[in-house]
Amino acid sequence: MAFACPVLLKRIPDDPAKRKLINIEEYISTGGYESLRKAQSMTPDQIIQLVIDSSLRGRGGAGFPCGSKWKFLPKDLHPRYLAVNFDESEPGTFKDRYLTDYDPHILLEGIAIAAFANRITTSYIYIRGEYHLQAKILEKALEEAYAKGIFGQKIPGTDIVHNCYVHRGAGAYICGEETGLLESLEGKRGWPRIKPPFPAIAGAFAKPTIINNVETLACLPYIIEHGAEWFKAMGTPSSAGPKLFGVSGLVNKPGVYEEELGIKMSTLIEKYAGGVKGGKYRAAIPGGVSMGILGTDQYDAELDFDIGKKYNVLGLGTAGVIVMTDKTDLVVMLRNIVRFFAHESCGQCTPCREGTAWMHKMLNRIVAGYGKPRDFDMLMEIGLSMGSMPGTTICGLADGANWAVRTFLQKFPEDFKARLKSDQVQGVTLDAQAAAAV
Amino acid sequence: MAWIVEDRLKQYQPTRSGPYLTAEIRSHIEQKYFPRYPRKQAALLPLFHTIMHTYGYIAPQAIDEAAGFLGISRAEVQDAVTFYEEFRLQPSGKYVVNVCRSISCELCGHQAVLNKIRDVFGIEPGETTDDDKFTVFEVECLGACEQAPCALVNEDLHGCIKPDEFAAHLRTLPDHPAGAGH
Repeated sequence: MAFACPVLLKRIPDDPAKRKLINIEEYISTGGYESLRKAQSMTPDQIIQLVIDSSLRGRGGAGFPCGSKWKFLPKDLHPRYLAVNFDESEPGTFKDRYLTDYDPHILLEGIAIAAFANRITTSYIYIRGEYHLQAKILEKALEEAYAKGIFGQKIPGTDIVHNCYVHRGAGAYICGEETGLLESLEGKRGWPRIKPPFPAIAGAFAKPTIINNVETLACLPYIIEHGAEWFKAMGTPSSAGPKLFGVSGLVNKPGVYEEELGIKMSTLIEKYAGGVKGGKYRAAIPGGVSMGILGTDQYDAELDFDIGKKYNVLGLGTAGVIVMTDKTDLVVMLRNIVRFFAHESCGQCTPCREGTAWMHKMLNRIVAGYGKPRDFDMLMEIGLSMGSMPGTTICGLADGANWAVRTFLQKFPEDFKARLKSDQVQGVTLDAQAAAAV
Repeated sequence: MAWIVEDRLKQYQPTRSGPYLTAEIRSHIEQKYFPRYPRKQAALLPLFHTIMHTYGYIAPQAIDEAAGFLGISRAEVQDAVTFYEEFRLQPSGKYVVNVCRSISCELCGHQAVLNKIRDVFGIEPGETTDDDKFTVFEVECLGACEQAPCALVNEDLHGCIKPDEFAAHLRTLPDHPAGAGH
């Protein structure tokens, strides 16, 4: 089953056996780089206005309006940079990898359009270190695009200089945070910066910088081609356009599927991903582990940017849905998520560095059978106290741990309480046993 | 009271007579990467990717040499290099098997993959076989959740792993990996 009118995936067949890497000739013969030519006939301000009119929101997790972000660039301050966020490290997220595996030029065309609209002369594609194959695919695609004059010292017919480079990360989730990414790009450890100044004012190398997700940029050629109204006709009023949804976990056909924003999760799982595997639906993560969890009664949740308010999760995130069944041990799953954050915390802010490690220890203890009744409230208290929204950390990494813990505990309290034994009789002995066991 | 001065650099004394940053590596970085960035320091990640690819690990001496090469202090290089998971300061086996342990892979049975590796090769995560052929690590999400459970063997992604077939495949790998210099 496929999206009736695929946009981002229009060049990638549904049948896995027929999928292959699309080179520049095939890309051009199917209308590729036409939008770039059309964009170059417009003025930069017209393009920015078009993107604002289309109400394109960032696809990387935060959902920030793309056109407004571009507007923040100070006028006439050069050089300025475009950093493409391809540090796709959120567990459950693999849409950008999938797109690049087969159709790398859609990203390059998006980059060229964004750079033209913002008068940017240097773009960096920050790709995570684990994506060895995708980095090679992009290098090759860039070579082809340079040869065709898409990038380079002088783009034919214009006086524009635009260079684009692949910059590989080296294994750090935090480098997907925009200012952590910039630090890493500059050759430092990926510690997020205190904002302001925002990257649009002082970003990479202290110059104005735009940071966009791969999928956001890949939407641009289609917005230029078909216009803002066409784009807004898809999705919901607050969440316009098509979206790549990654489905993984316990489903029969995990993979990347394209649909309009606002699709029900149940439809996505049943119509596209072949239904739940090995049990009945019990819970799902809507968009990467930092968004929290959807409960059993939230199977029909609409996947759009309003999901946070409606269903008590942090947001849509990267739209990487992870499905769990009635046989899944949710305590072990939360331990997995908290361990991820404990491992990936950059260590800069104390609540995150200490809090995630502390919660991981507690969950280890609970899974080992030494949980105590007070652990429930303790987990909640530590969880709620960390993050940029409580205002205790610089970046949003701890908010991810916060929302994972709070939504698991709020929506599935019985799973946790069943594991928590009273320690009043055994008292110290239980503590000693726990220390020995963990 | 005497002021006791400890030579903290002692453990980082050069470990080999030739440089790690050979003329070849230097000119590769100078020509390909320096023009890309306004500052030399930004070439740090590409430089250490090259070192990892060539030697399989990062020796303390390489950090010293990189500091001079990039024109920054040794502390700044060490600060950055030790932050990243892929930059290892200890030598490892010829094949590094990174088994993903994040949520989708745990749901789909990553533990069975690790158990199989333990049974067949006798190594737990973080350990290397006696013949220095394999090192296995448990890592966080590899971004291939639809293919869970998955693992990276050096630079190659293996998805939808069936533990038996995966172990059998590892056994058939040649003693020296193609492409890598280590």
